[in-house]
Amino acid sequence: MLSKLRDPSEKTLALLLLAPAFLLLLMIVVYPIGKLVYNSVYAVDKNGVFLGLQNYIDVVQDPLFWNATKNTLLITLVTVPGALIVGLGLALLANLPFKRKWPVRLSLLLPWALPLSFAGLIFAWFFHTEYGVVNDVLRRLGLQSEPTSWLLKPNWAMAAICLTVIWKTSSFMALILLAGLQMIPKSLYEAAEVDGASRWQQFWQITIPMLMPSIIVALIFRTITALQTFDIPYTMTRGGPGEATETLAMLIHKYTIDYSDISFGSTLAVFMFVISLFVTGFYLKQIGKNAQ
Amino acid sequence: MKKRDTLKWATLALASSLAVSAAWAQQTTLRVFVGPNQRPDLQAKLFEQYNKANPGVKVEIETGGATSELQRQYLSTVLNAKDSAIDLFLIDIVNPAQYASKGWIEPLDKYVGGAAVLKNDYLPVYQNANVIGGKLYAMPSQGDAMFMYYRKDLLTKHGVSEPKTWEELSAAAKKITAAEGNANLQGLSIQGAPIEGAVCTFLLPYWGQGKQFNDAGGKLTLDKAAAVKGLQSWLTMVDQGVIKKNVAEVTTPITVNEFKAGQAVFAINWGFAFDRFKDDADSTVKGKVGVMPLPAMTGGKSATCMGGWQWAMNAYGKNKDAAGKLIQFLSSKQASAFIAREGSILPVFQSVYSDAEVNKVVPWFKDALPVVLGAQSRPMVEDYGQVSDIIRTTTSAILARTKTPEAGVDEIAARVGRLMR
Repeated sequence: MLSKLRDPSEKTLALLLLAPAFLLLLMIVVYPIGKLVYNSVYAVDKNGVFLGLQNYIDVVQDPLFWNATKNTLLITLVTVPGALIVGLGLALLANLPFKRKWPVRLSLLLPWALPLSFAGLIFAWFFHTEYGVVNDVLRRLGLQSEPTSWLLKPNWAMAAICLTVIWKTSSFMALILLAGLQMIPKSLYEAAEVDGASRWQQFWQITIPMLMPSIIVALIFRTITALQTFDIPYTMTRGGPGEATETLAMLIHKYTIDYSDISFGSTLAVFMFVISLFVTGFYLKQIGKNAQ
Repeated sequence: MKKRDTLKWATLALASSLAVSAAWAQQTTLRVFVGPNQRPDLQAKLFEQYNKANPGVKVEIETGGATSELQRQYLSTVLNAKDSAIDLFLIDIVNPAQYASKGWIEPLDKYVGGAAVLKNDYLPVYQNANVIGGKLYAMPSQGDAMFMYYRKDLLTKHGVSEPKTWEELSAAAKKITAAEGNANLQGLSIQGAPIEGAVCTFLLPYWGQGKQFNDAGGKLTLDKAAAVKGLQSWLTMVDQGVIKKNVAEVTTPITVNEFKAGQAVFAINWGFAFDRFKDDADSTVKGKVGVMPLPAMTGGKSATCMGGWQWAMNAYGKNKDAAGKLIQFLSSKQASAFIAREGSILPVFQSVYSDAEVNKVVPWFKDALPVVLGAQSRPMVEDYGQVSDIIRTTTSAILARTKTPEAGVDEIAARVGRLMR
């Protein structure tokens, strides 16, 4: 054994070199996920009784779970494309040949650097019935006689949350897309110009196809974080009015922390994990296709 | 010579470090969690007094989480992890049952005497809250109950007497706000945001009809028609312009701040708010604030919501004996009278309500005792976290008018009924 270690074959050497990374992954990825699944089938607080799939059945029958899933998917479907469009616009803007580049880039970075819960609290005040700037502006413009309680109406509250999420996440999209834009060789545009292509044609025929790998990477990150949306709705509406804006991550937090029901919370987390897994798998497949 | 010198210094250094570490060994440090709404400034003064009398113990204070729910979230995270970092903490009156059932808090019988201690002059409500299965789990520190605050000056100016029923209150509020003609002046401020206070907002008009939410065994005894009627009475007051339209956004601090700014004729709030109206630098209503029991529903009787904070000991703590001694001091009559004098905090001992020294600072405590003795408790059940969440979220949605009172009460009955049977 020892001699084998002293003079390892190529295969052993590979295993040895991979071992630390593998152990680390085991510790920080496999163990927590395993523990999560374990907690979902055992009653953590009640003397560790084996529950089997009882929690899973309860989750599927829980209307709050379906409500939270619906809200999470809605936020994802609205804010991911929303942030992509706004982010692309910002990236194209920042890619213009400005004399000084840093003010543009700094203003791009600022929303991204702000903690999520701060963004939520700031926008919660924007939309506040009496003290909010939104109602104030509308009133000054004469568009409103009675103040609107934006965050107390289910549809408006959802719209306000989506707007905040898009504002907060567009800059991250823009950063990734900006990096992609700068990798596109100028010669392509010069050649297109010679061939008489319009700006519009250049955008669709050169920029978008060349940018596709960056777009997909940005979409993966954005979609996964969108599925985990917690801070902004939590600070803006606490999931209200009623449960109208409660997301899956908030429901997990509610069961685990507020209700101290770790088993049920873990089961919900397993569901969220599976949803994230599917979405990531879908994107990875797209990347594979794109690479070909 | 040089060698001997070195030796001498080394011996000296060793001896002094031994002496220092011996002193350290005798010094016990207790870490205590106090929420910002439980007057950490006054608690720190109590700890100082204790430190002076007990030089071997050092008390460190930790604070965080602006509301009862946030503090519960923080503590349950610490305690779920079986963390020993905090030795003592103040918990809300509704929490001992949950904490005890999880095994998070240490029974105190061994440290402060058995459950019988609470029969001795403490307000009776704290026996129900803190004795679980015959064991004593927490010691009362601060009393609290909801009161009706009102602008004495405005009532006098417009010749209105203290209202006894909600109808009288509505009429009084309408008369005063109309006569004042100030668009920023609201009739009554209550809490409708989905916070712990909204549980009381649900219960007050329900109890006010003489109805009970649960029996002694913790089983739900909700009278749905009465609950709908109670919630409807709030909505009627919103329609009449007595309560503002966005009541579902109002939290406890918003009520305090708006009343302080002179923007409300009546306000329902906890006892602690009186001190803020009286002493805060930015209060515009100093000397103009009256306190009275909550009005009754027609045909019912006045009822209020009991609150208060209890000292509990971390079951995973490492300094239990020292912590037990500190609890004994903190839940003493002397401590209760101290925070009553310094912070107008409702005492947990009946006799302190008529203590001459206390009454010099807070004369209305004399009249507060019957109100506090008649106050009702929110249900004290293991799943209180969940019960509270269902009630406050639904109540807030009803006040935001995204649910009807009928649908909301049905939901509360079904979901809470499953937890309290």
